[in-house]
Amino acid sequence: MSELVGRAVDRVDGRAKVTGGARYAADNPVPGALQGFLVGSTIARGEITGIDTSAARAHPGVVAVYTHRDMPRLTAPPFPYLKGFIPLQDTRIHHSGQPVALVLAETVEQAHEAAALVEVSYRAEQPKAVIEDALDEVYLPAPFRDRPNEIVRGAGEAALAGAEVRFEADYSSPTHHHNPIEPHATTAVWEGDRLTLHETAQGVNLTRGTVAAALGLPPQNVRVISPYLGGGFGAKGPLWPHTILTAAAARLVGRPVKLVLSRAQMFTSNGHRAQFRQNLRLGATRRGVLTAIVDTSTAQLSRTDEAIFNRSDSAHLLYACPNVHIRHRGVRLDVATSSYMRSPETTAHFGLETALDELSYELGLDPLELRLRNYTEVNPETGQRYTGKHLDACYRMAAEAFGWARRNPRPGSTKDGEEYVGWGMATETHSHGAMPATAAVSVDAEGRVLLRIATQDIGTGTYTVISQVAADALGMPLDRITARIGDTALPEAGLSAASATVASVTGPVHRAATAVRDAVVAKAVADRRSPLFGLSPERVVTEHGHLFAADDRRRRDSYRDVVARGGQPVEATGSVPNTPGHSFGAVFLEVRVHARYGSVRVTRVVTAHDLGRVLNRRTARGQVIGGVNWGIGYALMEHTVLDRRTARVVNPSLSSYLVPVCADAPSVETLFVDRPDPGSTALGAKGFGETPITGVPAAIGNAVFHATGRRVRDLPITQDKLL
Amino acid sequence: MTDDPHPTRRAHKRRTVLKGSAVAAGAAAVPPLAATASAEAAIASTVDITLSVNGRDHDISLEPRVTLLDALRDRLGLTGAKKGCDRGECGACTVLVDGERIKSCTTLAVMRQGSRITTVEGLADGDRLHPVQQAFIRHDAFQCGGCTSGQIMSAVACIQEGHAGSEAEIRDWMSGNLCRCACYQNIVAAVGDAAREMRR
Ligand code: FES
Ligand code: FES
Repeated sequence: MSELVGRAVDRVDGRAKVTGGARYAADNPVPGALQGFLVGSTIARGEITGIDTSAARAHPGVVAVYTHRDMPRLTAPPFPYLKGFIPLQDTRIHHSGQPVALVLAETVEQAHEAAALVEVSYRAEQPKAVIEDALDEVYLPAPFRDRPNEIVRGAGEAALAGAEVRFEADYSSPTHHHNPIEPHATTAVWEGDRLTLHETAQGVNLTRGTVAAALGLPPQNVRVISPYLGGGFGAKGPLWPHTILTAAAARLVGRPVKLVLSRAQMFTSNGHRAQFRQNLRLGATRRGVLTAIVDTSTAQLSRTDEAIFNRSDSAHLLYACPNVHIRHRGVRLDVATSSYMRSPETTAHFGLETALDELSYELGLDPLELRLRNYTEVNPETGQRYTGKHLDACYRMAAEAFGWARRNPRPGSTKDGEEYVGWGMATETHSHGAMPATAAVSVDAEGRVLLRIATQDIGTGTYTVISQVAADALGMPLDRITARIGDTALPEAGLSAASATVASVTGPVHRAATAVRDAVVAKAVADRRSPLFGLSPERVVTEHGHLFAADDRRRRDSYRDVVARGGQPVEATGSVPNTPGHSFGAVFLEVRVHARYGSVRVTRVVTAHDLGRVLNRRTARGQVIGGVNWGIGYALMEHTVLDRRTARVVNPSLSSYLVPVCADAPSVETLFVDRPDPGSTALGAKGFGETPITGVPAAIGNAVFHATGRRVRDLPITQDKLL
Repeated sequence: MTDDPHPTRRAHKRRTVLKGSAVAAGAAAVPPLAATASAEAAIASTVDITLSVNGRDHDISLEPRVTLLDALRDRLGLTGAKKGCDRGECGACTVLVDGERIKSCTTLAVMRQGSRITTVEGLADGDRLHPVQQAFIRHDAFQCGGCTSGQIMSAVACIQEGHAGSEAEIRDWMSGNLCRCACYQNIVAAVGDAAREMRR
C-alpha cells in the first residue's frame, strides 16, 4: 500500500541546499542589526580585577561594550542549560574562554577589532586542566536527570573473584569538540517585551523555554526560528550563554543584535565530549560466557556542574551478563562545561568492545563468536523481551558481506607491500529518545498540503521523511507537500537530539495526515456532487491526490475538488506518544597500517543495522556514512589538547583539531535488516542517528591489533603510538 | 572603479593572509581576529569598489579590510557562501574567481575588483540546475548543507581543472572542503558523475 515510505526518495530540501537558497540562522538579513562579538577570558581560574573598555568604545562603529558591571541580572536556567552559571554577572572566572565582555558595533570587522581592544586584568589562580591533575579528587556525582551514576545488577565483584577467566584493562579518550561546519549564531530582535531569535537550535521549543527562564519572560513572549541547521551533533541542543547574552544586550541597546561565534570560541562555548578514563574488568567462563562486568570510569567535570554524559549503557544492557557493576565517576576541573556529543555512549562502548576483543584472544575464540555466546533479546534492565532486536541478523549480514569467515586470526598475519592489513569488528548500539510532539496537516482548495510541526532538520532528513509519511497517509504525490518546521509558532515538538526525531514525529504526522484523509473522504461520500456520493468510506482509496471507489476506479474525485467544494481548508492535528528504545548494528572493517610510518588507513567497511523499519534508505544510509567517518575521526585523529599549565585549548582551529577529510573516508557498504519494530508507534521505525558511530572506534583498534599485534587503549591511535 | 588597481592579483594574496592567521593560532584559545589589528585599520575609512558577481556589477562602499566572503554575505546579501572558520581551513566559503576556486574568507574584496566572481547562487541556468548541483541531489551528497555551497563550487573547479579522472583523484582534490556530516563517499560519486556528464 505504501508508495513513498521506505523508498530512497531525493531530499525535498535538496534544491534549496544546492542553490544557496536555504537560509540558515546567520543568513537572515535583519535591518538595523548590530554585530556582536564576545571577549573571552585568557585565564582559566581566578577573578577579574579590572576591565578597561575605553579604547574599544572609542573605536569607530562601536555602539556599546558590556561587562559584568552593566549587564542586567540574569537567572541561570535549569536543563537544558547545562552551564550552572551565566557569564558577565560577576568577576569569577571558571574556565578559559569564558565571556568577560560583549562588544556591539555596526560591522563585523569593527566588533572584532574593538573586542581586541578591551583590556582585562585578572588575579589568576593555578588551574587544573586534565583528569591526571586531580586523581585524588575523583568522586561519584549525584544523579543527573534522575539517572544514577552507580548501577548494580547481581554481585559484580564476587562474580569476578570466582570467574574462570578474568580480564582487566584501562581505556581512555581525550576531549572532543563537535565542530559543526556552521558556527553557532543568534540574532535577537525585540518588539516591546517580545523577543524573536534566529537561532542555530536543535530544539526550538527547549531554546524558547530556556531563554525565557533566563530573561524572566513568559515563554510565549519568545519566538525561536531555525528552519535549517548547518550541523549540530549535540552542540546546538542545550542552550549556551552567548544566546542569552545577545538577547539581553539587544534589549539593553535597543537594537537587534546578531552574534556568530568564531571557530576558536567554539572550543570553549558550547560543550564537548569530556575527557574520559575507564577501568574495565571482565569475568567469563572458559567457553566465553560473561559472568561479570565491573566498569569504573572517570569523566572530566567543570567547577560549575557535575553532569556526566558518557554513560556505560552498553555494559549494562547489550549482553546477557548476570553481574554488572558500573560507576560513572567524575572530577572537577577548571575547564568549560561538557555536554552531549553525537553518540555519547560510544565513549564507554569503545572500552567494552575492545575488552571483548582482547578477551576473545585470551580464550582463543573468534570475536564474533564471543559476542554470539553472550547474545540476548531480553532487556536486562526490565527483564522484558525487546519488541524488536535483530542484532543477530546484523552480525550475519555484515559478516557475510565482509567475508569475515576467511579471517586468519593471528595478528600480523597479512602484509601487502609496505602495509600490514588487519580486520576488526564490533557491535553497535545506542539508545534513542522519544519526545511528545503534535503535528498539523491541512489541504487547501488547490490540493496543496501544508504540514506544520516545530521539529528540526539537522541534516538527518526530517523534511523529507515527514513529507513521505504525510504523502503516503493522504495518498498524495510528494511534491504537493510543504513541510514547515523549526519555528516555535508551529505545533510543539521536542529536541532533535538523542536520535529522537523520527521516533517522536513520525506517529503524530501520520495521525494528522490520516485524520485529514478520513475527513476529506467523509466529505466526498456525503456530497451529492461527488462521484463517490453514497459510498461507505472504507470503500474509498486515496492515491496521487485522487479519491477512488475501490471496486470501480472510474468513480473518482480529487482532494482539490472536495476541498474546493467545501469552501475551506481541511485541517487536523495528531499526537501519538512513543517509547524510547535502542537500535543495533554490527561493523566489520579493514585497516592498513604502514610498517615504517605507523599511519593507519581504513580501507573497507561493511555495516548492517537494525533500526526497525527504514523510512528512507537514502537518509538512513547518510547517517551510517556520517557515523562511520565520525568513528574514524574518533579512533584516529580527534583530540582537543589542553595546556596543563594554563588550562587553555591549544588547538582551537580546524587545521589543528583534525577531522576526517574526503581522502580519509572509505566507501562504506551499508546494509539494513529493515523489519518494523511492533513496539514503535513511528510506523515501526526506531531512532538511529547515533548508533552507526558506536562500534567504529573499537573495530578500528581491534583491526589495528589484528594488523600489527599492537593494542592501543588510549585514543586517538596516532602514529607515535604505533612506532 | 573598473580599472584594476592590483595588476598582480592573480598571484593570490592567500599566503600573506594565512601568515596573519598563523600568528593568531599560536595564541591558544584567544579568539583570532578576522582583521588583524593595525593602527591604520582602526580608522573606519571606506573605499568604493565594483564587484562583478554572477554576471552583475555591484557598486559597494566598504572598509579595505573586508574579506570577499563578508562582502558577499553582509553587503550583497549573497549568503550561499558560508563562513565555517574565517581562516581558510574548511572550504565552506569557496567561490570561483575568474574560474578558479578560492576560499573567499582569505581574500579581500578590494583585491577582486575586475574579476569575474561566481557564487553558488549564480551556477544554475535559470531554473535548470548545473550538472554538479543535480548530481549532488541525485547522490545525496549533503546532509545539513553547511558545507554544500563550498563543495559544489569546489567540485565545479575540480572538474574543470581535470582533477576528477578517478575516485582517488577526486578524494585528493576535494579534500580542501570539510564536511562534518561526512557525506564524502556520496560527494565523490556526485563529482565523478557530474564530470562524466560535463565531458559529454
Ligand atoms: S570560511 Fe573560508 S575556509 Fe572556512
Ligand atoms: S553536509 Fe553537513 S557539513 Fe557537509
